[in-house]
Amino acid sequence: MASVAEVRAAVDAALHQVTEGQAAIQAAREKLGEAQQSLAAALDGSANDAVGAAHASLAQADQQLEECLGATLMAVEQAQTYTATL
Amino acid sequence: MSLVEELGAQLRATSEELPTGLVSVAMERLRSASDLLNWVRQTSVDPLGVPQLGNAIEHAEHSAAALRLAQDAIASYLAVLGLSGGAPPKDDYRAGLKQDDPAPPRTEEQAPPPERLGPWWQERVAALTGEAPPPPAEAGAAGGRSGGTAELLRRVAAGVRSGDRARLGRDLHRVDAATGLGLSAASSPVLHRLAGDLLGHEPRPEDMQRLRTAAGGRVRSLLPGTPPAVLDTLLARICRAPAAAEAPAHPADSAVTASVLTGVLLARLGRDPATLDPDAPEPSRTRGADA
Repeated sequence: MASVAEVRAAVDAALHQVTEGQAAIQAAREKLGEAQQSLAAALDGSANDAVGAAHASLAQADQQLEECLGATLMAVEQAQTYTATL
Repeated sequence: MSLVEELGAQLRATSEELPTGLVSVAMERLRSASDLLNWVRQTSVDPLGVPQLGNAIEHAEHSAAALRLAQDAIASYLAVLGLSGGAPPKDDYRAGLKQDDPAPPRTEEQAPPPERLGPWWQERVAALTGEAPPPPAEAGAAGGRSGGTAELLRRVAAGVRSGDRARLGRDLHRVDAATGLGLSAASSPVLHRLAGDLLGHEPRPEDMQRLRTAAGGRVRSLLPGTPPAVLDTLLARICRAPAAAEAPAHPADSAVTASVLTGVLLARLGRDPATLDPDAPEPSRTRGADA
């Protein structure tokens, strides 16, 4: 039979996965920042459409990761609020 | 090396170093969390953060798509420079298999408490593999998180290669739920890469049936208890095809099935599980092996 401790443990296990996911997102954003800098340095002065598209896509990728991180923070808060009431 | 060649090499390196693998790992971690919370809250009206996690997964998917677009744009520019036709870009598909997790140092207050999920993971492993848990004394000897998820994935792949379901069951029974659930994230970019190597091209939605034919039988024989929809969902993710709507699966199902599918694809490619070690030499990409 399930107990409060078990429900809490399951939520904790889920939050552990979220924490690992957040760490991967942060690591990805760091690498993305380095890639943006490297690309900007290499392609400085280019007006080619493909260069513009590459810059825009990297900025979009980073923006999405930022929003992803924000959504996980809200998810964690909601799950923790739930377990606090158990 | 000419100036143009040097510029091309720099652009290729930038493209290869884009964090596609890390984003995929993050996505699978969030999916695991979402599956687990969905399983906990099945009859509760409290959303428990699941809708927010759904949003987070969607943002991660959009980010992954944007990274692919950036790689395509860089490839187009290389063509403008007259440097197209090189080798396909490497990627960080073993990003989830590094022993030193990218997690920031946790304070004592943030550290997760010791797992108290009881036999939850082991019960599901038994249902999936048909192998009963080992006696508690034996299980305790190698249990917990020792070796981590990356090591577990290599052990599962070795068990698949030997076709030894009992060994597979033992290896999965010996870990705790956190380590086991991590299999989804660790195997996700690997699966995409292995499927691509087997097919000879980037997996596409129309490749689902080929992959199902290549791997489905072996997965079912090793995991007789896995629901067919779980494998289909994994194949749909690999092929970037829309997954059919389904009832929430047990959170362990996707992790265990993904690890076994990784072992099956490795075996089909004739690769050793040791190639999953991020420090191992990059295996040569066999184009269109035998799928």
